[in-house]
Amino acid sequence: MLKSTLPRLQALAKNTLKHGRIRRFGPSLTKVTQLKLKRAAAPPLQSSPSLKALPVSRPVYVSLTTPLHSKEQAEDQLVALNPTVFHQPIRRDILHLCVIQYRDSLRQGSANTKTRGEVRGSGRKIRPQKGSGRARLGDAQSPMLRGGGVAFGPKPRDFSTKLPRKVIQMGMRVALSSKVQDSNLGVMETLDWPTGKTRELARKIEALKLKNTLFITGEDEAPIMLQRAMRNVPMVRLTTSKQVNIYDMLKWPRVMLDTKAVDFFEQTLGKAHQQ
Amino acid sequence: MASKASISRISLANLSPARGSLHKQKRVGRGQGSNHGGTAGRGHNGQNSRSGAGIKPGFEGGQTPITKLFPKRGFVNQNEKVWAPVNLERIQHWINLGRISCSPEKPITARELLLSGCIHDVHDGIKVLGDGAEFLTSKIYITPSRASKTAIQAIEELGGQVVCKYYNPLALRDCIKGRTDRIEAAPTRRQDIVWYGKFQNRGYLSSELHKKIKTTPVFQERWKLLSDQLGQWQKQDFDYEKKKKKQT
Repeated sequence: MLKSTLPRLQALAKNTLKHGRIRRFGPSLTKVTQLKLKRAAAPPLQSSPSLKALPVSRPVYVSLTTPLHSKEQAEDQLVALNPTVFHQPIRRDILHLCVIQYRDSLRQGSANTKTRGEVRGSGRKIRPQKGSGRARLGDAQSPMLRGGGVAFGPKPRDFSTKLPRKVIQMGMRVALSSKVQDSNLGVMETLDWPTGKTRELARKIEALKLKNTLFITGEDEAPIMLQRAMRNVPMVRLTTSKQVNIYDMLKWPRVMLDTKAVDFFEQTLGKAHQQ
Repeated sequence: MASKASISRISLANLSPARGSLHKQKRVGRGQGSNHGGTAGRGHNGQNSRSGAGIKPGFEGGQTPITKLFPKRGFVNQNEKVWAPVNLERIQHWINLGRISCSPEKPITARELLLSGCIHDVHDGIKVLGDGAEFLTSKIYITPSRASKTAIQAIEELGGQVVCKYYNPLALRDCIKGRTDRIEAAPTRRQDIVWYGKFQNRGYLSSELHKKIKTTPVFQERWKLLSDQLGQWQKQDFDYEKKKKKQT
């Protein structure tokens, strides 16, 4: 994909924008920010040790998908994505940590057993200490006996584990980057659907080959019509960018973001000075 | 495009932890193959092989333990101060190397000594000592918590200036961090008030010292006020009851 977009990249690089947003559409818009490019061509390092050299970071490009609600094919447009969020080296161990932590948090932890103190029964000594020729026994609830309590059995407990916040954020960035690397990340302008009817939506999803996709919208709440229409479509799910987690991102083969969701991820996961 | 590193997509099915990051838990009493079966690492018989905590640390079987053989002695002084010593020789060496510098406007304080590495820990304050006074050749302007007689003499012979200031823990912390928005507190303990009021110590509350350093940048107006207020005890005396004449 990227080979064919090289001439487009060069065209994009010529335009500038006022505020420092990197994510912009292709030639149909007039201005694209040159902040990153300016920084790449920055003056050489001064001798003071407090200045750090910023690595040249080029955005990663993804072609825009036709929105669900529109009937025609979208013109060939590109979306420039922040490489800090969408072009990270793949760290499977970080993803493993995040998935394990998420699944730990889901555990109910309600397994319970009765100890010898909790099993119902009296404390009477079953048989005399000496004389019977058999082993000595106290009460009938000892774990040695049938019907007695469990010696070190499970008790309800919390299985959730803690992970540093920055590890979870990195996991999200790696997950998004892995989707881009596998060419399984798409961007739509908006995620919207006019009616609540599932039939047309199912046909549209089939036509766009978007089965097994997780649709992530950047709104606070997913549009109600789209929710209703998508409820019954199999192998497709809709969430908001605030609710989505790394487990879902890895579970679903394909991910479709809308531009607001891309903004959300770049703001929350991108570096502070790149704003 | 260049070939992808992985053939299949990254999914829940092909995640694994970093090599060496997970270690198997030691589970004792689970068979011979584990190397921790049978007696489960407790040896044979004896008190330590039984359930429960064993003996308390320091117990010597009934014999008076070493911690009880000797009597307790003394007390721990909560007001004790540990001064970080710095000798004149060391300060001169630092100046020669260019690691520290001083001027009447910017005297050497705990901050400069700590950051330059002359002192490794400030403790409760700095005390300037006179070891190697013969090697001191430059004029020094320094405001420590304390200074020895020899150090004061050596510094002033060369035209330098020593002013001993009272630093409470907060003031010392502010001095080290370079914070100037807070007012440094005056001493409250009688011992400190008396000590910093004496000229022989070059205490910043002594009026004799004020006469000498009034023109220098180190001096603050507030010190004059404090010296007047805290120095009143010098002029006070006990009230003696006037003896009444016996009336016959």
